[in-house]
Amino acid sequence: MSEKVTKEQVYDAIRKVIDPEVGFNLVEMGLIYDVIVDDENNVKVIMTLSTRGCPLHQMLTQWVKDAAMTVPGVKDVDVEVVWEPAWNISMAEDNVKKALGAL
Amino acid sequence: MFNVSREFAPPFALIAPFFVIGSIFYMVATFLLPMFGADASHFDISVVGWAHLFLLGFVMMVIFGAMAQLVPVVLEVGHFSVDFYYIIWPLLAIGTILMVIGFWLAPGVLPYGGMMVLISMLIFLADTIMTLRKVEHISLTVKTIAATNGFLLLGILVGFAMALGIGAGVGIDVNKWLNAHIVLVLGGYVSLTIIGMSLILLPMFGLSHGFDERPINMSFKVMVGGVLAYLAGTVIDSQVVRFLAMLTMLGAMGLYLWQIWLIYKTRARKENDIWFRSMVVGYGSLAFSLPLGLLASLGAPENIGMTAAWFLVMGFFTFLISGHLYKIIPFLVWFERYSPLVGKQKVPMLADMYPKKMADYQFWFSAAGVVIAGIGLLFQSDMMFKAGAAFVAVGAVFLVISVNWMMKFGKQ
Repeated sequence: MSEKVTKEQVYDAIRKVIDPEVGFNLVEMGLIYDVIVDDENNVKVIMTLSTRGCPLHQMLTQWVKDAAMTVPGVKDVDVEVVWEPAWNISMAEDNVKKALGAL
Repeated sequence: MFNVSREFAPPFALIAPFFVIGSIFYMVATFLLPMFGADASHFDISVVGWAHLFLLGFVMMVIFGAMAQLVPVVLEVGHFSVDFYYIIWPLLAIGTILMVIGFWLAPGVLPYGGMMVLISMLIFLADTIMTLRKVEHISLTVKTIAATNGFLLLGILVGFAMALGIGAGVGIDVNKWLNAHIVLVLGGYVSLTIIGMSLILLPMFGLSHGFDERPINMSFKVMVGGVLAYLAGTVIDSQVVRFLAMLTMLGAMGLYLWQIWLIYKTRARKENDIWFRSMVVGYGSLAFSLPLGLLASLGAPENIGMTAAWFLVMGFFTFLISGHLYKIIPFLVWFERYSPLVGKQKVPMLADMYPKKMADYQFWFSAAGVVIAGIGLLFQSDMMFKAGAAFVAVGAVFLVISVNWMMKFGKQ
């Protein structure tokens, strides 16, 4: 049995996924709502997108899945995209808000 | 679940010609602007020829290319047959050239050009209508696309009938139907398409959220009512109905501007990049053209109506299109050349994939030119109109260079 994977490891892995339009990673954008790791090290990522009409929808979710799979010990990854609560800029980290001029 | 897979995305080679050829048509059209004087009228056959060169060759060409990319995104389904687009642009380009030759030099050629344009648009409509039939979630944008395509069909049929009238002697009152043709195509198709698409694109690029969408919903319904009323006013030949319809359409665009203000107020992304500045000039031009359009409807002299049309077409339509080219082309290039490399090597950001200085030159020359030439039209100054037109033409050269630069970014 491999070591228990932590939420933080998964979040750190997803930080490598950059939204090419805004240039920030999905975690600092506040697009990753939750990460659930079960006893078998199966990971579920609950995320949203900054807009419903995002043409990169499927690619972004695939990149998140690929990134989470790079964490040692992860068995499987499921990515769920939700629209509630709707994303807004207040969910982003301060460096993002500052760079976009929203702070 | 809404997914736009790679299979839904049209190939880059299919969409690229629409933008490259569209920008070249724009440049050629602007080069020809100085042949007009400030006293031009929209009934002059030379102006009608130029308008077709500009609107078919540039505006419709770019809109069709953008729709090839955006339809799967906004309708959440794949194209019925994206391969149709391979024949749309050649037919539209050749048909446009023949139409312009028909208007300017040889009226007998006009029906042939009109027929090619008609076929290209029917193919576009066939794909869009068959694609719409696959849609399950009926949003405002979906309704907009359905309505706009109906108006486009009516508009091009009226246009083709007029082409037969001018070039082949078919009995149609061109003077009576010209304005209906303009309203159907510019109001019913181009403006409504912009209204529908902007509800997707402006919040996406500006990161706007939580705004009230009632104004744009009202704008859509009022605009549809106005275009239908204008058509009815033409059929029954009622000046009063046409006047009321024109007021209705102006009101719809006013509601739309209100919506743009609400989206602007809630935007999280405050950077003033080329896209944002282009939107400011575009919507500023629309705001300026609306009261002039109202005055023209009330019977003001032709130069007022021409100035309103100038700011609507060269300010609003053009800047909305050019501004979005700096977003859409880098995205297409990135999607084609860099998305497979994500996670394997460092990939560029979209903001690094357009030529900033060149885009700035395009923006400033074009914006200055639109204003100077617009003042020339308003005050009937040939010198100012031609000077402004020259600025617009220089801006167009920079647009073509920018489009070429973006298309070649990262090409091996």
